[in-house]
Amino acid sequence: MLIELKDIYKIYREGEESEVRALDGVSLTIDRGEFVAIVGASGSGKSTLMNVLGCLDIPTYGEYRLDGAEITTRTDAQLAQIRNRQIGFIFQGYNLIPELTALENVALPLAYQGMHMQQRNETAMEALEKVGMALRAQSHPSELSGGQQQRIAIARAIAAHPSMIMADEPTGALDSKTGKQVLEMLQQLYREGTTVILITHDLSIAATVPRVIRISDGKILSDEMQEVDWL
Amino acid sequence: MTVMQSFRMALKSISAKKMRSFLTMLGIIIGVASVVILVSVIQAQNKKSLEYLESQGTNKLTVSAYRWTGGDISRDLYDYCLGLSDLVVGVTPEVHLYNDGLSVKYGTHTVSATAEDWRKSGQFILGSDQYGLCNNYKLSAGRDLTRMDIDNYQNVCVLGGGVAETLFNLVNPVGKSVTILGTPYTVVGVYQKKNVDNWPELDNLILLPYSLNRTLGNNQTISEYSVKAVSASAADVAAIRIQGYLSALIPESSGYSHVQNNNQSMDSMDEMLMAQSLVLGGIAGISLLVGGIGIMNIMLVTVTERTREIGIRKAIGASRRSIILQFLIEASVICAIGGIIGILLGFLGTLIAAKLLLKMLFLPGEGITIGAFAFSVVLGIIFGLYPAIKASGLQPVEALRAE
Repeated sequence: MLIELKDIYKIYREGEESEVRALDGVSLTIDRGEFVAIVGASGSGKSTLMNVLGCLDIPTYGEYRLDGAEITTRTDAQLAQIRNRQIGFIFQGYNLIPELTALENVALPLAYQGMHMQQRNETAMEALEKVGMALRAQSHPSELSGGQQQRIAIARAIAAHPSMIMADEPTGALDSKTGKQVLEMLQQLYREGTTVILITHDLSIAATVPRVIRISDGKILSDEMQEVDWL
Repeated sequence: MTVMQSFRMALKSISAKKMRSFLTMLGIIIGVASVVILVSVIQAQNKKSLEYLESQGTNKLTVSAYRWTGGDISRDLYDYCLGLSDLVVGVTPEVHLYNDGLSVKYGTHTVSATAEDWRKSGQFILGSDQYGLCNNYKLSAGRDLTRMDIDNYQNVCVLGGGVAETLFNLVNPVGKSVTILGTPYTVVGVYQKKNVDNWPELDNLILLPYSLNRTLGNNQTISEYSVKAVSASAADVAAIRIQGYLSALIPESSGYSHVQNNNQSMDSMDEMLMAQSLVLGGIAGISLLVGGIGIMNIMLVTVTERTREIGIRKAIGASRRSIILQFLIEASVICAIGGIIGILLGFLGTLIAAKLLLKMLFLPGEGITIGAFAFSVVLGIIFGLYPAIKASGLQPVEALRAE
């Protein structure tokens, strides 16, 4: 069991009239090596769920065990370390740092691990080769297309060999062809044994993922396995 | 993230916004340059004054005494000091003549009191037979003035080594006749050069018997004297005795007298140097402080602008510590670069100011250089701290939402 959520609440302005329950009693488990889509409309709470799963945010109530360890009681520094080593993020807006080259962007999580320059660059280069961007290692994000930038972002997410990848609308800013390439890359990661959690509002994308969790108003509506054509 | 990596990252961010970084540095540059220049010019001034006092030798008293009525006390003081022979080595009037057109000529060579090149201008001084003794001049040829020269109004002079070289080149000046204001004077002696770097005029001395005050000095009253004592303790005793004698000789109602011990002047010079440096350095330091506030301002803007970047860094695993380090290093690197440019400007400014104001070659000492640099880096850390802490406290979720 990689992820175990138990009665997770995320409540803003608790007790006031304008109280918002972004997560309203969510429980779910995700096994190591699963490919899960979390689907919902905007405002459904799926982004909050991703933030909690990605250790970017702490729930108001509830228990969250990641890899057997309780998350909700961790300090800032410990959460930073967990994000650094166990989770790879892929965002809709790529979120690369514009002043850094592709290689430096990919090497950044490794730098925060304290890895030395040479080893860091070698590891980052491997990740770039994996996403087919080795030739653009010295380019800055502004010199690359959206699809290329997202591939750099994927390389950054996988560089530290995390146990799970969190992809938040990774195809949202891409045309359908490059979007498909990005999805294929996530499928490939899944085949290699990485846990992949994909957050999307797009049902056609959700249709390609073996397990789909629907969320609405901070609650889980359904949690179903399905056949997919690429397996 | 090691410090080295943070350092490289800081250089990258700074060079990405060159104009802004430069404007931010400007406060530090101006602050450091003005601290360096002000403190250095004071040090130069004091170095020059100390050199002068030292060239005059230690254990010297400067005496000011005159009667309102103009009656000359030179002979009285001379005779009184003869009686203090166990304390006093010599006594001499010190009258600098600045008359228009004053010059000394030999053949085609001239040394003028008002030469365009200050290094070549002659110092025409009326003194006694003990002038050289009192002011640490040693004869290289001929003889000093004598009491006879003074009492008999002899047209004789002793030349400083510099003047002798200018006028006579390799010829021995002793016994030769030079012309001052149209009148011939016999050179009776030449002093060795002192070669004090910033006081070349000390070697451009033309010493004349003080009794010639009647003709050369337009009969003005002689009021300044130097007395040389045998030792530091003798100087202290002699100062009290001479002051006592003068007070009796010139009652307060009829004139003025004052004895100044140059040993004490040298001591108080050091204290003055310290005080002046602190005051002026402090004033200039305020401009550094203003520069520091500018750094804080721009770092706060930078943190706001880079909220998203901070969010990304935190999402992929940057700890608060790494973020603080990143912004602290960025602020200190800006200050350090500003400090280095400021020091270079300070060297240039000191060179120019010392040349124009003090006519000497002077560069800032290592103390003020290292001090100013260290202070600017510390300033960067102090004023970078608040923005850095603010940046590190951003929540990744909120930071990522920023546009």
